[in-house]
Amino acid sequence: MFIQIEPTSDIPIYTQLANQIIELIARGQLKGGDALPSVRALASDLSVNMHTVNKSYHELVHKGIIRIVPKSGAIINPIVQEGITNENCHRIIEQLKPIIAEALVLGMSPEEIGQHASSILVDLKGE
Amino acid sequence: MSLAIFLVTLAFLIVIQSAIPFLLKRTIVFGVTIPEEYAMDPSILSFRRRYSALVFIIGTLSLIALLVWSTTTSVSENQLVFTGLAIQSGLLLLSMALYLYFHAKTMKLKQVNNWNSGLKQVRIADLQNHAKDSMLPNFMYVLPMFVTIGLLVYTASQYSLLPDQIPMHWGPDGQPDAYSQKSPFSSIALLLILFVMQVMMLGINVATKLSGIKLNVGKKKSSQLQQLAFRKYSSWFLLLITILLTILFGFLQLTTIDGALQNETLMMAVPLGFLVLILVSSAIYAFKVGQGGSRIVVSVEENETTSATDDDMDDHWKLGVFYVNKQDPSIFVEKRFGIGWSINFGNPIGYLVLFVPIIIILLISFFA
Repeated sequence: MFIQIEPTSDIPIYTQLANQIIELIARGQLKGGDALPSVRALASDLSVNMHTVNKSYHELVHKGIIRIVPKSGAIINPIVQEGITNENCHRIIEQLKPIIAEALVLGMSPEEIGQHASSILVDLKGE
Repeated sequence: MSLAIFLVTLAFLIVIQSAIPFLLKRTIVFGVTIPEEYAMDPSILSFRRRYSALVFIIGTLSLIALLVWSTTTSVSENQLVFTGLAIQSGLLLLSMALYLYFHAKTMKLKQVNNWNSGLKQVRIADLQNHAKDSMLPNFMYVLPMFVTIGLLVYTASQYSLLPDQIPMHWGPDGQPDAYSQKSPFSSIALLLILFVMQVMMLGINVATKLSGIKLNVGKKKSSQLQQLAFRKYSSWFLLLITILLTILFGFLQLTTIDGALQNETLMMAVPLGFLVLILVSSAIYAFKVGQGGSRIVVSVEENETTSATDDDMDDHWKLGVFYVNKQDPSIFVEKRFGIGWSINFGNPIGYLVLFVPIIIILLISFFA
């Protein structure tokens, strides 16, 4: 389970980290109950500040994707089975909107957007 | 005797120093990161060969000169020790100067040819890195301390039998040549020094465990196996040194307590055996493990190709030898030029682990 960050990217490192962990969960490589490495261990492996890793773990906690258990560290929550909450649904749509708008402005057709979305799903679900 | 010791250590230095460019990772040349595809560039190969040849030839000439000079003229022990040390330091200075010269040349070569351009630089980590780490547990380093404590108790119980003059320094023939007045402190000074060293070794093991496992993006799996092996063998090597130190110091303390043990051959053989074992095990470690485990053969398929390259971190490696990165919580990092570990000068804990014990040892030996 490899995590890759690009220090010179415009995307902040903590966001890159959080995104990669979410992707590993979506792919089923990380499962509910699995532990993430300690903040210090991951920060030293990536030669980044401990605050950076801490911030990305906190973001994941905030989104309800992981939980911090005293003494065990950061634990992955199981994938939600009973459907997305209204609140999360709104947030995701809010985030998708500007990206879809940008795609349209840059000339991507609605069909293409649909196709890309399904191919990303296929890739993540491994079907 | 001193001559033999100097010749052996000098020969060892020459071999290791001249072999270094060939023991290191191909992608880090004189402290400069070079992308894999340019690692076999003819100018880089010639830099390596020139470095090795110069160190080897000058080293061998000075070794022969030392041998001829000391056997043909009658030199005093002091002169010999002084010259021997001067030649050893000279050789190290020469390798450092050559290193800096080729470091600058490699840097320039990289800039002129614009190597690295086009590829994005990334860093990678495995989330299970530390779960797979098989360094020795810390308690293994605590065990030798019990030997020291046992000897402390034994020394205290035998205090009245101790000689009035406590040996503090031993010559190359293994015989004590400097003494201190008997006092409770001087009688256990040697054991205190040993104990501080054992604590330092424990500290190094703890700190190494807390340090990062840095992987190569182009060969994630094999670099991980090599890194883990490197860490494992480093901790074995360090424990071996701790045990050898415990044996040597314990032996010297016992000979002080019980004069009957002061057998001349044994007094000479034990420290010499210690030196030989240290040299041999370092050589085996260097040639078997190599830089960051780069000489450990692993056979895993790297199934993915990537358009990215490793973050070169050149900015954090001052002169290619001193790692200064305040962001990185790692206390130790793998050396860039050489085999083994170096400290992250951006992290003050490293200074604590290394320099505090050294200062305490100096204070003990000064006041004992």
